[in-house]
Amino acid sequence: MGCVNVAVWERGNLAKPSMDIDPNPLQSDFQAHNYSSREAAPSHKSSSGGGGCGCY
Amino acid sequence: MSVRHLDKLQYRHRKNFHRAHQSHCSQLVAKKSKHALHALTSAALVLPGLLMSPNVQTAPGDRINFQYGRYEEGARNLYGVPTKYAPISVDVLHGNGIFSLTDRTKFSFAYTQDTWSGATPITTTPLGTDGGNRPLTINQVVVGASPLINSKVLLDHDLNPMGRDPLTKQSTGVVDPRSVLVMSAASPETRRQATFGLSYEWNEAAINVSGGFSREKDYKSSFGSIGGRMDFNQKMTTLKFNGSYTDSEIGAILDHDPAPYITKTAYQDQIIRKGGATGSDILRGSRSDWVANIGLTQVLTKNSLIDANISYTHSNGFLENPYKVMSVIFVNPADLNNSSGLITGDVRALIEQRPNIRNQIALNAKYIHHIDTFNAALHLGYRLSVDDWGVNTHTFDASWVQPLASDWTLTPRIRYYSQDSANFYRDYLLSKQTYQTKFYFDEQNRQIYVNRKNSEIEYVRDANLQLIDKDGNAVDEAIARPKITYYDDTLLPKSFSSDHRLAGFGALSGGFTLTKRLWKGVELETGFEYYTRASSMQIGGGNSSFADFDYYVANAAIKIDMERSDATGSPFAQSHQNHRAGTHEFHKIPPAGIMFGHMLPAKGDFMVGYRFMLGKTNGNMQHGTHAVIDQTIIDQGCSDTIPCRFTPTIMNMHMHMIDIMYAPTRWLNVMLMPTFMDMDMNLRKLANAPPAKPGTHDHQGVGGHETGAIGDTYLSGLIKLLDIAGHRAHISIGFSAPTGKVDIKQRRMHRIDSGLIHFGMQLGSGTWDFMPSLTYQGEKKQLSWGMQVGGTKRMEDKNKSGYRLGDIFQTSVWGGVDLVPWLTASVRGIYTWQGAIQRDFDSLSSRIGSMDFPQNYGGQFWDIGFGLNAAVPRGKFAGNRFGFEWMQPVSNDFNGFQLDRKGSLAATWSYHF
Repeated sequence: MGCVNVAVWERGNLAKPSMDIDPNPLQSDFQAHNYSSREAAPSHKSSSGGGGCGCY
Repeated sequence: MSVRHLDKLQYRHRKNFHRAHQSHCSQLVAKKSKHALHALTSAALVLPGLLMSPNVQTAPGDRINFQYGRYEEGARNLYGVPTKYAPISVDVLHGNGIFSLTDRTKFSFAYTQDTWSGATPITTTPLGTDGGNRPLTINQVVVGASPLINSKVLLDHDLNPMGRDPLTKQSTGVVDPRSVLVMSAASPETRRQATFGLSYEWNEAAINVSGGFSREKDYKSSFGSIGGRMDFNQKMTTLKFNGSYTDSEIGAILDHDPAPYITKTAYQDQIIRKGGATGSDILRGSRSDWVANIGLTQVLTKNSLIDANISYTHSNGFLENPYKVMSVIFVNPADLNNSSGLITGDVRALIEQRPNIRNQIALNAKYIHHIDTFNAALHLGYRLSVDDWGVNTHTFDASWVQPLASDWTLTPRIRYYSQDSANFYRDYLLSKQTYQTKFYFDEQNRQIYVNRKNSEIEYVRDANLQLIDKDGNAVDEAIARPKITYYDDTLLPKSFSSDHRLAGFGALSGGFTLTKRLWKGVELETGFEYYTRASSMQIGGGNSSFADFDYYVANAAIKIDMERSDATGSPFAQSHQNHRAGTHEFHKIPPAGIMFGHMLPAKGDFMVGYRFMLGKTNGNMQHGTHAVIDQTIIDQGCSDTIPCRFTPTIMNMHMHMIDIMYAPTRWLNVMLMPTFMDMDMNLRKLANAPPAKPGTHDHQGVGGHETGAIGDTYLSGLIKLLDIAGHRAHISIGFSAPTGKVDIKQRRMHRIDSGLIHFGMQLGSGTWDFMPSLTYQGEKKQLSWGMQVGGTKRMEDKNKSGYRLGDIFQTSVWGGVDLVPWLTASVRGIYTWQGAIQRDFDSLSSRIGSMDFPQNYGGQFWDIGFGLNAAVPRGKFAGNRFGFEWMQPVSNDFNGFQLDRKGSLAATWSYHF
């Protein structure tokens, strides 16, 4: 994995909240639930479990 | 880099630094560059933050979030037929939190409840049937439509449907290939989900387990998952994995409105009858879902990283939506040879049939780039999923996270989605056979019966008409039913569905998230999204435009970061430290059932809390102070002209309340308390109830009513009157704003409007209310005592539904003793008076039982409360308080006829900054 090397003190930007993989988890959970009740793709959040029919 | 920003970084990584990186990073820095080290020493405190890997993988610190959201759909296209049904809307309440149990172990929990109601498609038919959304006409004016799922359609000789005017149902005489959704509606229903998790962190790895359940009346799931991560390459590479299993039990209550018109033969063995002749058919099934996920996060440069993962989902069992039916046009084969004129197709509704196995694979990739010029982050995502039902999907999304001045952050987002149709999806089916009832007879011409639970087992009647099995043994009549079919299922596809979610379509959505950090680790967040589905936006184009719709979602959240407030070096830390040292030999708080009962001790103090209240009523119906029998309720419980026909068996009220309290000065506190309410009620028919009057809501089937959404919002100013050693008193000038709904309706059933739901199931008062109270508290050594006098005065004559709730007066007296310094037990006596409801609903309401009549509300009630209060004075959880009180009715004097009170519970948590 030596293809890149970002020195540890160069990681200020990477550590910012805006660079989180999911910066707004409350929002993305909410969106994922809506998508999964309206679309046929597997749920984004399915790996964390969760149930419900979403039969509406 | 600003000092403020460095603080932020330092805060975020304080823990990880202490635990993991101190020695490692120091060595690293020493080796790498003295120059760099020198540059950093000027901001020594900052070091840990910079030395961290991207924070993407680390679990967040201790926190609690509360969120309320609303989903609202636009109307579906019914080709000009007006609908009386409101489109689907969902109210969602969510709370979650993470707490450190030890430095490396974290406990997390999440709770979600959603209540939904409104119109939903039950099937799709050709627009040209004489049924479908059948217009409902009053005085020659079309006022709405009701679903008619069995109908007739004229077909030409190539079996193309002939058109009909959607409103007049007159044939147009030309082919019309259009399809239309047939809409049905549901009364409110609630789903609740709870999840619990534990995680453990090593220096460069973590593992987590979680599990939980989801409960709906007709769908119960349990799930568990295990996952973890490993960091490599100085934390520039992270490997993640996760596996989960969900087990679901379906018990679909086949709607007693359309049920008689639905063909259920494919599921005969799975259907049971509950509640006798007036009960409901329950379609039972179960399913399992396995998900495995593996992912990789890689830092690319100092400004970018990529996250990719692949997941595999295997589902088996009952994968249908039990409420969707397929319209099948049955055509008599003899008519096909008849060359003259049109053919009449017989449209029938069959419960949909999906394959009972599904395998899905999804590939997900996300690229995140920091844009220095704007101090912003760009997120780009792509997702591909394929499955063995033929549903292949593509998702593209992009968002831009833009921090702004004064701790605001704005994140606009856009998303595009496209899916192919499932290979068994059809708008509707055509079958060249006649739909007709067929009984079966054996070679001796004896009628064949089958086992209700397994139609493979056959029975016949012997010469004495006794039912016997194939070995000649007698069989109980109750387990058998006649063997019957309506069509030859070998002439239909094995799987079929007209659920528009399995059709091909595209969707475009966009929205934003706005966050604002307030003070002391409290952040507000709001999000909005608009979504539009369009068949034409499918990659390659689609042909399900009749099912196009749009929705919007809006939500607001309060996020409390409990780690932030005591982070050494955080801008908030100092005031907090002072505060804690100064005032946390804190005052006792009153029992949990008391509202507006205490004040914050010092100027600038801030408190956030959560309060849960449960009210239970069940058991016998009461009149005044005594239980009554059914006949009395029928005769006297409703009105002179309308006898009661139903009575509640249980009714539960749950209230979730967020308490936000702030002390702008020492003598004045302000409080804001938004609430979320949900109720459920079950009814039974009174013994010897008279028949329903024609045109009234006749409650049928199993199950009751549920409602849930935002309740009223309380605002208060608390003014200190007295604060001397051992004695304190304050008054609260409170108001209740009518944010809760008072016009919730039950759905139309059997072509009859049911009208507004019972008073007690509405979610607010509907009026502005004045809520004054006076509270006194005293304490000496381990003992404490207090009293509160308060009331609620409705400030308007009536709410928008025409009535007003009764005023309330309440007084209580309590005494407490400290069991240990941090734990207080209390006993409280409570007297409550509440007036009956004034006026009445001014539009159609259900009038089936005593709960629908205004005189049957209020009364005088005496309760005794047993409470426990715990306060954490120091250490990691300092500032947290927990309260719990059970209020047991001692004596009741009800106005009119009411269900017996069985007690109420108050549970509180608050965090004092």
